[in-house]
Amino acid sequence: MSWGDALAVLGGLVAGLLSGLIGIGGGSAFVPIMTVGFRFNQALAQGTSLAAIVPTALVGGITHIREGNVLLGPALWMGGGGLAGAILGALLAIHIPGLILARVWGAFLLLTAFRLAQEARSKARAAKSGRPS
Amino acid sequence: MIPLQVIWAGVSQRHANANSLVAIIPIAIAALPIYYFLQGRPQVDFHFALFLIIGSVAGVYTGARLLRYVPDRELTLAVAAVMLVVGLKEVIAP
Repeated sequence: MSWGDALAVLGGLVAGLLSGLIGIGGGSAFVPIMTVGFRFNQALAQGTSLAAIVPTALVGGITHIREGNVLLGPALWMGGGGLAGAILGALLAIHIPGLILARVWGAFLLLTAFRLAQEARSKARAAKSGRPS
Repeated sequence: MIPLQVIWAGVSQRHANANSLVAIIPIAIAALPIYYFLQGRPQVDFHFALFLIIGSVAGVYTGARLLRYVPDRELTLAVAAVMLVVGLKEVIAP
């Protein structure tokens, strides 16, 4: 086991913790670990992150179900819908240059972060005015 | 998937996060062979993935067990913060 392997375990631990708490599936964390930390190209990083996501999501998903965190109906619908989207997306991603792919993904994340921050603010306001959120 | 649930469907952050992790299972299983077999050369580094998995499985179990103790608003902010950091990185230095 090399230093690189040890760092991969450490990176996996952080990404796993995030994905258990935040549910981002690790993908958003795995990919930058590999592209920034280990100089993987975008396609290799995404492919490898997918391989790591399968067991991570299985263990995380089962733990969440046992903890009572999951609404199983909606989760299964999203899984089915996402499945169709993911197959299309993966087929498309192969033909799109990595740089464009990364930028589009980044812009989408920024937009989403902004909307979620607004959501957190309205939750805070609801809590202050005594409404149950 | 998480923002879709929280912003439009009004699902609590805790359920949204956990749901999305469950929903990722079939998606990742289906997408993996596409990356592996439809590329010129396989775009998966299984050696690196193995060590990543050793860490991430331990991490995800811990995270999933801790989730119920984190307040919903803080959870939403944490999701937003992670998306902000990763989004900035991808836009500025992809």
